[in-house]
Amino acid sequence: MIALLALIAPAFHGLQTQLPAQAPQGNNIVGAQIAIGSLFSLHILIAGLVSGAAELGPAIEFLGYVRQRRNYDRLAHGLGRFITYYFSVSSTIAILLITVLLVGFWGHFWTTIVTIGWWPLFIEAWTFVLQVSLAYLWYYTWEPMRAFKGVHMAIGGLLAVASFLQVYMIDVIASYMLTPTNPQNPVRLALNPTSYPLTVHRTVGNLAYIGFAFGGFCAIRYLRAKTAENKRFYDWAGSFGLLWGVSMTLLQPVVGYSYAKEIQLHSYGSWYKMMFGSLSPVFLWQITLLGIMFLTATLYFARRLRTDEARGSGILKLLAVGMVLTTLLAAQPYALGFSYETVAAAGLNRPFWDGGLINPLGSMIPWKVLALMFYTLIAIAAVVWYLRGLPGVVWGSARRGEQRILMLMTILTMLMMVTMGFIRENGRGPYLISGEMTIQGQQAVPSAQPTPQSSP
Amino acid sequence: MRRRLSAAYEWFDERTAIRSLLRKGLYEAVPVRGAWFYTLGSATLVLIILQLVTGIFLTLLFVPSVTEAWQSLNYLKEHDAFGSIVRGIHLWSAYILLFVIGLHMVRTFFSGSYKRPRELNWVTGVGLFVLVLGMAITGAFLPWDQAAYWTAVVVTNIPAYTPFIGSFIRALWRGADTVGPITLSRTFGIHVWLLPAILFPLIGAHLALLRKHGEFGSYINYRGAYKSREGVDVPPAPAQRPIEPPYPAAPSEELWAAPLQTEDFYPHQTFKDGIVSAALVIVVFILAVAIGAPLEAIADPATTSYTPVPEWFFLPLDELLVLVPQQLIPLVLVLPTGGVLLLLALPFIDRGPERNPFERPAVMVPGAFAVLFVVILTLLGSGRLFNL
Repeated sequence: MIALLALIAPAFHGLQTQLPAQAPQGNNIVGAQIAIGSLFSLHILIAGLVSGAAELGPAIEFLGYVRQRRNYDRLAHGLGRFITYYFSVSSTIAILLITVLLVGFWGHFWTTIVTIGWWPLFIEAWTFVLQVSLAYLWYYTWEPMRAFKGVHMAIGGLLAVASFLQVYMIDVIASYMLTPTNPQNPVRLALNPTSYPLTVHRTVGNLAYIGFAFGGFCAIRYLRAKTAENKRFYDWAGSFGLLWGVSMTLLQPVVGYSYAKEIQLHSYGSWYKMMFGSLSPVFLWQITLLGIMFLTATLYFARRLRTDEARGSGILKLLAVGMVLTTLLAAQPYALGFSYETVAAAGLNRPFWDGGLINPLGSMIPWKVLALMFYTLIAIAAVVWYLRGLPGVVWGSARRGEQRILMLMTILTMLMMVTMGFIRENGRGPYLISGEMTIQGQQAVPSAQPTPQSSP
Repeated sequence: MRRRLSAAYEWFDERTAIRSLLRKGLYEAVPVRGAWFYTLGSATLVLIILQLVTGIFLTLLFVPSVTEAWQSLNYLKEHDAFGSIVRGIHLWSAYILLFVIGLHMVRTFFSGSYKRPRELNWVTGVGLFVLVLGMAITGAFLPWDQAAYWTAVVVTNIPAYTPFIGSFIRALWRGADTVGPITLSRTFGIHVWLLPAILFPLIGAHLALLRKHGEFGSYINYRGAYKSREGVDVPPAPAQRPIEPPYPAAPSEELWAAPLQTEDFYPHQTFKDGIVSAALVIVVFILAVAIGAPLEAIADPATTSYTPVPEWFFLPLDELLVLVPQQLIPLVLVLPTGGVLLLLALPFIDRGPERNPFERPAVMVPGAFAVLFVVILTLLGSGRLFNL
């Protein structure tokens, strides 16, 4: 052992002399932002799935119990397996983000936000412990506790509550960064203006996301399935996932609009940037993408019913046409330039028929609001008609086209998740905490080390 | 003593047939399964009676004029602890009544209890819900404090969005162009005379219809009779079933029209009803004593600093009004009106015999979304008010 230490000690010593004396202090702000942004996107993409699965899985198990259907039980069990596989991946990324990137690049910010949000972060940490304990317990006691289904479902229920709490606590921090309130008052902090809308938006979003994700996963498994039983299951589960995802997504226009309204009331600069400034093209893409998602789902519904000649396919095609028209309305840009801000700066903020660059059909009020209303109404009608036609569907007979649509939906949803995260996080710019701490300012924190001075 | 009491009872029974009335009322067969769900109806009735009793007490003191209304309630608050508690009971039982009647409707909706032959039960129930909501809204005007005044301003303005006759309805309610003394006296009349005059006969009709058709609904009573969509037969219903009036003895279509198992209304159902109602009354009393009924400063139409906050049951609509731009407000106000009309029409739209909520997607999905939207809008609205 001593010989080994003697061998490697000089190597360690050499390495130590090469290490920087302190963490990087932000010589490359853009690089730090890209590193943190991309890793956060990856984290959210996986953590959203884990949270959604931990909330939806127990609900599906309960549904299966009430309806006495094995398919539900198998699906819930599959979601449990997913949580046990991916919880650690998501957590590793989160820990890497905090301990290396946030502390390393944005140390001042991280210290500040931990000081302000100590209680939410403390609860957040314990919900992790609760979630991981309950998730493994829930999954690994599936068969042993089959005779005690009520107790098992109660464990699942607790898991769902822990997952919701976890999302809520981190949303308190995220929403505080956009709409800060008095940090001395923990109730004000927890109920800051955007904490409710963000929590509802994200919880519903996570529930939709897991539905779309396992829909796509089941589509792949369906195409590879060898037995008729597996084909039946994956066909049904894919359809269930999409149906669930759409049902949750159609709540989002109202919730998202409410969220935007709160940002307008409490963080006007961010709102202006999203609606009229540099982020408005991304916002336009988001509302268009929402229409594309609803349209794709409606096409799946129509195709799946047509495959088995079940009733309702024709009406769903008509609804798809309605969705195309609504998406075209929603996709209308208000400013026929990069953004309204640039158009206004050029003095061209008048209708295009007056020589300007404004397209009134692209205005938020009333046209985009109307488009959001129509999205919701058409999507509800599509879900109802699909459900009405489902008794005529023979599971296991789906064609490749339907499965491709399910996979496409997963990709579109991931795009939506990344787009929403991008808008929210960049909406604050140039601030890390709106109006209180800029990215630039936090990077320029003077070093705690004494400044070297020449000897007297 | 016992013999005398018995003789008195016999004398009374000979003249009123009280014995057979009690027997009919107390020993009717009710379903065993789902009995706790049925307690919501009796709890609603108990809370309405509590409203009536405390309301009568309050009318003895309340003066419905803009100069005296606030003073009379402030007198209760400052000098009459018992009266103050009674007012608290009136307020909190109204709040809990709205919640319980909402739950009762949701239970009826999800279990398909509105289906033939109980369509009119549902229609009278929807009418009762609207009337209770009307009582709550008109009651909110009466204290004539800042909250009441600005509620009156907002609420009396809502009918103005009705096409063609909107301005007329607003003027009729207000009695002038603006909210004032006539608005208060008219709203008081609506609150204590007009609405109760419709409410109580409707309660009578609702109960009479309930007695005629029996308690019914939750599909869990009839689970044994269902066939699953996957084609796997669940165990058939037992051949011998204790069927008693008022349930028909023959199966109708694919569903049994009678519960799998019944029991007497007294003491089984009355015990459960009593437990739930007593618990709610205790909660009301605790809230009335601990929190009481708030009374803000006297109404001041000239104020510029007061921020009006809607009643909690108004939050979903208020949140929608905040979200939707001015041009689309009439469209938003169509929602509650259309919603009530749809509710009234529900038994005539969903006429199939199926009662299992999972097998009625065309009704359940929009219904579930409506409930979810109301819950989400309430949550968002409360968050917004907290940060005003």
